[in-house]
Amino acid sequence: MFRPTLSRRPPRPDLSSLADEDLMARVQEGDARAFEVIFDRHADAAFSLAYRMCGRRITAEDVVQEAFLSLWRSGARYDRTRGGVRSWVLGVVHNRAIDLFRRDSVRTSRDVSDEGAVERMAAPDSTEGEVHRREDASEVQGALQDLPDDQRQVIELAYFGGFTHSEIAEQLKLPAGTVKGRMRLGLTKLRISLGDPSGALP
Amino acid sequence: MSDKDRIASDRDCGGDVAAYALGALDEAEAQTFRAHLQECAVCQDELAAFEQVVNILPGSAPAYRAPRRLRRRVMNAVAEEPRHGRASAPRRRALPRPVLAFGGAFALAVAAVVVVLAVGSSGPRSPRVVNAQVVGSGSASLRVSRDHAELVVHRFQAPPAGQIYEVWLQRGKTGAVTPTKALFSVNDAGDAAVDVPGDLHGVTLVMVTREPAGGTQKPTHPPVISAALD
Repeated sequence: MFRPTLSRRPPRPDLSSLADEDLMARVQEGDARAFEVIFDRHADAAFSLAYRMCGRRITAEDVVQEAFLSLWRSGARYDRTRGGVRSWVLGVVHNRAIDLFRRDSVRTSRDVSDEGAVERMAAPDSTEGEVHRREDASEVQGALQDLPDDQRQVIELAYFGGFTHSEIAEQLKLPAGTVKGRMRLGLTKLRISLGDPSGALP
Repeated sequence: MSDKDRIASDRDCGGDVAAYALGALDEAEAQTFRAHLQECAVCQDELAAFEQVVNILPGSAPAYRAPRRLRRRVMNAVAEEPRHGRASAPRRRALPRPVLAFGGAFALAVAAVVVVLAVGSSGPRSPRVVNAQVVGSGSASLRVSRDHAELVVHRFQAPPAGQIYEVWLQRGKTGAVTPTKALFSVNDAGDAAVDVPGDLHGVTLVMVTREPAGGTQKPTHPPVISAALD
């Protein structure tokens, strides 16, 4: 016989089943549990980017912590029209790392000397989303490798190194116009080889 | 301008788009480029395409697990820092203080900063993006659909301490400026997206001014963002 269940409060939603966009709505209201889920989903990617940029584990951790805390403190409303939450989080991490480079000139010490202390992501992963991200990552890595060396070099120095085109020109002893031209050619080729990048966004 | 000069100018323009998308312009160059961007549809399209590519560049970085202690550090810090409320749309509170008069000077200021804005080629009732005129650095656009509008701000300066941005609507070319409930700040990257509430029928101008925290009923400063609707 069916007996209605008496419940004084509605069941707590399983936050891990919510989409990023729905979690962000909760984060904006100050929901720390929703923030925790967002962190868990994107911390690996955020740390990987920060580590690629900073080359030092401790600095990368600081950058990621600063980025996530700034998102929490500001209650910033992410812009859905400019991509998914992951792109948005990574954009904040990128900006934080660049700020650090330009503020403290920490770039000179960057290397991957402490790589052994960081846990490399295991190849297989059970979630469908991660599998797709790996496929996307593999595609981006392949597209970058297919670029002529001079174009890949300026793109990597700019994006991951945080160098301005003038600094790159000085390092490579090239005219500034040449550096900017290589950036443009490289991005154009990436765009072509990746097809519609918007479809590859996480 | 000779044909040769024009070609050279175009080439620099394109080179700046890629460097800007990669964050490789210094701040002064970026400001100059942003001003140019307001007027150059070609650069706007190219930047949108390049930003899509740049957004997926992090995927090429070797993948690592975030250290467990990082999670503990972040969550401990979050637990110790209760949120101060929503940055992009804080709740309006009553303002018993007097507000400054708003009149001809403000209207002149509006006229000075508003330019004819490029509207998409789609019909006036189709969703479209209206680029807004911005005073200072950054960019802003108004995304207008049939019954909804959202103001999107990118790399814009934060309001001074104790102040906030407030969204205003003007109906008719010389009509009254009315406040909205949309109050916002920007995040650390200078970005924000805020719903523009209310019926936009007859609205010719959407503006943003900086105002004391909590907002006002009449603007006390000239607009820093202006988007003209047809």
